[in-house]
Amino acid sequence: MTLDRARWDKGITYDAFKGAMTRNQERFAQNESRVTLDPETVRQFRSLPEGVRILVLAEDWCGDVVANLPVLGRLAQEVPTLDVRVFLRDQNLDLMERWLNQGKYQSIPVFVFFDRDFRELGHWIERPASVTERRAQERRKIFAAHPEFGSPDAPVDQLPEDVRTRLQAELQKMRDDMVPFANAEVQRELRDLVSRVAV
Amino acid sequence: VTGKPVKVKITYCAECGYEPQALDLTKALMYEFGTQIAAIEIIPWESGTFDVSVDGELVHSMRRDGGFPQQATVKSAVRSRIGSAPAV
Repeated sequence: MTLDRARWDKGITYDAFKGAMTRNQERFAQNESRVTLDPETVRQFRSLPEGVRILVLAEDWCGDVVANLPVLGRLAQEVPTLDVRVFLRDQNLDLMERWLNQGKYQSIPVFVFFDRDFRELGHWIERPASVTERRAQERRKIFAAHPEFGSPDAPVDQLPEDVRTRLQAELQKMRDDMVPFANAEVQRELRDLVSRVAV
Repeated sequence: VTGKPVKVKITYCAECGYEPQALDLTKALMYEFGTQIAAIEIIPWESGTFDVSVDGELVHSMRRDGGFPQQATVKSAVRSRIGSAPAV
């Protein structure tokens, strides 16, 4: 399967994707409003040659899409020469098969950078490893600080409902607190990718 | 075998979009067992979770067993708990 102009044109714009979301629309907008762009990231993206295309594989139900696609969206707003097209993963599994996470997982979002002639320049998948690692560390801290939460590996349905609800609130707070770090890490990885592929 | 209606808990990763699988399983259990089930609790969670327990016994865990449960596996666990024959 090759990506060509006809296929490219079947993708929808970032704004069209936002408008078509059937869930998480408010959360997505909130995340977008929380993105603070690093000037160096913007500078590097502006230095890309005109005509760079970014293919995005996404679905509106996916937490990583809702968290990370707004970062790319904000960058595209700052660098209007970027041509971003979103393809829904579940309707484009042939595309998904090309950029599997670790060669086997259909993780999203996927951002694939192409030059104007559809030659791939590089790609980015799901979320930074540093975010996964930090989240795991913070999770372990929460469980260590609250023995009533039991083991992090135990099924949560075994917890009394009030305890489970408190755990849920702690985890949500941890994720919220981590948004600035996560957004910065997404930008760092995209910056690294762009600096490697700059033509 | 208790003979009493059983309680089922389905914990699914809301961030991963596992709602369809949770709802499909819920519906299948409702249709199969009706009032033989005391309650089905659906718990939105995170971290790629899809766990099913029947009266506190974990009968499927995505982390432990991989993937989503076969509906037949969960139905079998419920059936053995309540001691009923399969619906014809």
